[in-house]
Amino acid sequence: MRRFILFVPFIALTWSGWVSPALSPPPKSVPTLSAESQELFLPLRPNSVRFAVMGDNGTGHRKQYEVAQQMAGYRQKFPFEFVLMLGDNIYGPDTPLGFHKKFERPYKALLDGGVKFYAALGNHDDPNQCFYKGFNMNGRKYYAYTKGNCRFFALDSNYMDPEQLEWLEKELRNAGSAWKICYFHHPLYSSGRHGSATDLRTLLEPLFLKYGVNVVFSGHEHLYERIKPQKGIYYFTSGAAGHSRRGDIRKTGLTAAGYDQDLSFMLVEITGDELYFLSISRIGKTVDSGVIQRRVTSHVSELSGQLWLAAPIPDLPKRQIRKVEALH
Amino acid sequence: MKSRIWISCLLLCLCDEITFLLGAGTVRREPISEAGQVNEDTRLLKDFSDRVQAYVKLHKRLEASLPPLKPTPDPAKIVSHQQALAKKIQAARQDAKPGSIFTPDITERFLRLIRNEFQGPNASHARATLRQGEPVKIRLGVNAGYPKGVPLTTVPPTLLLNLPRLPPEVEYRIVDHELILRDIKANLIVDIIPKAIP
Repeated sequence: MRRFILFVPFIALTWSGWVSPALSPPPKSVPTLSAESQELFLPLRPNSVRFAVMGDNGTGHRKQYEVAQQMAGYRQKFPFEFVLMLGDNIYGPDTPLGFHKKFERPYKALLDGGVKFYAALGNHDDPNQCFYKGFNMNGRKYYAYTKGNCRFFALDSNYMDPEQLEWLEKELRNAGSAWKICYFHHPLYSSGRHGSATDLRTLLEPLFLKYGVNVVFSGHEHLYERIKPQKGIYYFTSGAAGHSRRGDIRKTGLTAAGYDQDLSFMLVEITGDELYFLSISRIGKTVDSGVIQRRVTSHVSELSGQLWLAAPIPDLPKRQIRKVEALH
Repeated sequence: MKSRIWISCLLLCLCDEITFLLGAGTVRREPISEAGQVNEDTRLLKDFSDRVQAYVKLHKRLEASLPPLKPTPDPAKIVSHQQALAKKIQAARQDAKPGSIFTPDITERFLRLIRNEFQGPNASHARATLRQGEPVKIRLGVNAGYPKGVPLTTVPPTLLLNLPRLPPEVEYRIVDHELILRDIKANLIVDIIPKAIP
């Protein structure tokens, strides 16, 4: 009987994730939902720009490995070419073992498949990570690159000095591409426990508006949040690829959709003037999805908890209309 | 009666003249004072810049003796480069003490700049940035390494706009109430201003 009494709390703790997952080996298979719930609703158009987005991933915990496995699984159906890393790439000291346990091993399937990772620095990252080839930073703490009709700007929001601001303005001014996408660690708008990075916002937002930045991805908060468009710009926080904090989304009036019940990552496809996005949980549940039109007048609209395509697209099936995870 | 009026007028004129002269004197003194302050600030800025440049020169000279750090798939190479560089700088600066770069005069100027930021209209944003950056409380020493695995507190970007610019080898960081000058590649504390953040 006594053994049973001890056994029950142990099982409960293990089940709830209290027993350190760092001590556990990576799972052989990820818990999954039914095949129906994993259906992919991205258009997969030819020559589209396809990528994944993840933030705050570098814990080395079992759940990070589960998210990584989920990403690799989704790549079979949605062959994305690269991943945006939103900072906190390696928690703890940057030892070779740390890089192995928190990056190379969990994402081995993706790395072996030729997926490139483009990292931004978080507050837990040593800036010397910019010399690590796996992060494709080429020795720079902030940098820009082009994929298809998109220009990506990876910024160092942990140290936004005047030199970086000048560089960003010059890069944005000269970016001739159709889509301008910025990503960095600290969210300018957030309903999470840290809140919005208002100081950073006073400097970045005017540049984003002046030069027509379309979408911004950030991490830092260990949750997923899609912000209601701010002055025409779409902001996403996706900082739960390594661990999550339940109940962290507070009522701020900023949230268009949010998910803080489990870890998550995003899949994005850009084709022409449309950006399709999915946010997927650790167990493969779609927690948010939609499409953004690059035209200033278009927008993602929601009707009573349902996310609808703002502009109906003829060749997409009706099932693309997805229910958004209810907010608490 | 007429003479009394004359004397009164004369006295009034004299007072007016004296007031004018004194006033003019004050007016004349202010630009000199401001100019003096500007000169003093320029001198301090140059002094600070020279000291930082001297450090960077040392950094570059010592780094040149190591195999160059280029983007590598091997994290061990990054770590060993950092450690080797830190070791060389620590040996070359073994007598370094607090104040070698942030001299008392330079410190005073920095404190004024920081106070302006943390007491000005942007104060709440700047403080929020420090809070959001997951601040840490650790004991730091000049020429010692920044503790590995400890997050780097986010520096309020509006504060960075007001502080003197730095070469890319070094950066400002805030740890608790201290402003530190940190060598990025070597992960070393170059100098500290204690109690800089009010």
